[in-house]
Amino acid sequence: MDREILVKDLKKHIITYLNLLDMTPEDLKNDVPLFGDELGLDSIDSVELIVLLEREYGIKIEDPKEGRKVLVDVNTIADYIIAKTPA
Amino acid sequence: MNIIQSTCISAQNTFLTPEPAFGHLPAGSKLEAKEPPYENIPRSLLRRMGKAVRMGVGAALPLIEKNITPNGIIIGTGNGGMEDCIRFLNQIIDYDEGTLTPTNFVQSTANAIAAQAGLMSGNLGYNITHVHRGLAFENAVIDALMLLKENPKANYLLGGIDEISTYNFNIDQLGGWVKEEFPATQDIYETTSNGSLAGEGAVVFVVGNAPDKPDIKACQTLHSTHSQEVMQSLGAMVELHLPGGFADVDVLISGENGDGRFKHFYTDCEALLTNNTAIARFKHLSGEFPSASAFGLWLSGEILKHQTIPVNALKNPGSTSTFKNVLIYNNFRGQQHGFMLVGLG
Repeated sequence: MDREILVKDLKKHIITYLNLLDMTPEDLKNDVPLFGDELGLDSIDSVELIVLLEREYGIKIEDPKEGRKVLVDVNTIADYIIAKTPA
Repeated sequence: MNIIQSTCISAQNTFLTPEPAFGHLPAGSKLEAKEPPYENIPRSLLRRMGKAVRMGVGAALPLIEKNITPNGIIIGTGNGGMEDCIRFLNQIIDYDEGTLTPTNFVQSTANAIAAQAGLMSGNLGYNITHVHRGLAFENAVIDALMLLKENPKANYLLGGIDEISTYNFNIDQLGGWVKEEFPATQDIYETTSNGSLAGEGAVVFVVGNAPDKPDIKACQTLHSTHSQEVMQSLGAMVELHLPGGFADVDVLISGENGDGRFKHFYTDCEALLTNNTAIARFKHLSGEFPSASAFGLWLSGEILKHQTIPVNALKNPGSTSTFKNVLIYNNFRGQQHGFMLVGLG
């Protein structure tokens, strides 16, 4: 899986699922914390991100502890998708 | 019950402006609302809101922020957040009743508007949503009237809100409630075809007892398809509240909407009036939607405040030069009839 293409695709999905108004994939930096002050996401958004992973990539996060480690920033989510996707 | 303050988001320039402007024409058969930038709604909340919720909260917040802590929030909406509702239902099908996202569901319920306005303003008072299709707003008005009789010192936030959803627009068009592609330059009232212009908007009032402000003297509803029965009911209401009956009505705000099937209701209503009464219409400005009478009520407040009828709304100037009593008659799809009487003093 080409990581660059995956990240671009993932950013588009994040913007769509979270309805991030006025934001483009270029605005969404790979290493900016999703739940920090900058984006201001909250617990409902974390559910939206879990649904995104399931619907778009067929990956289920069922353990909340795992979710906390994965849903940190774009990089961590992309790494998780690559790790969970069969080669 | 007096209208202390109001805000109106509509297809026209009516939001937080001392001089509303009425020049916006429909695109096809839709009159879409001109939404403000909603600077008082945090972006993190705004991005989750459907249009009805956005418009409703956007219209309500300036009134709450200004100076008033309402004792309750009373909203009338025929459809609530229909667009989000359809999105949620489609997800159920698309994902085979699997994992669903909460946002569309939370935002799609009709009471999300009043609830969100209450949450954002920290208002713990009475919070209710009336959903009686074309009489949703009138029922909200009646609720507020009754509450004010019990609590004369209270004031309430009262609103009528509906959105055009893609799904509903298509269904309404198939059902003959919306005119086929309608040229913006054509006079909707000159047509005899079925349907009207689809509209949307959010009109919110602060109501309470303030004798120097426009007074909603009465509000009544009726389900009927018989014009004679409707006119009898309307006549009884007018005679109960105005000593001179229809002779005391200075302005009729008519909900005529260009649907040839129901024009006779409005013609019969106009026949009850004397030559003194001016007649105004508003559906070419607001479009048709279940709670459109809220726009009519807002217009009545503007007419009484400025003592003039906007030229774009005027059908017949009548012979009265001062406006004291305004009658609003609106019907929804020829079945649900709402009457409101608004006056000064």
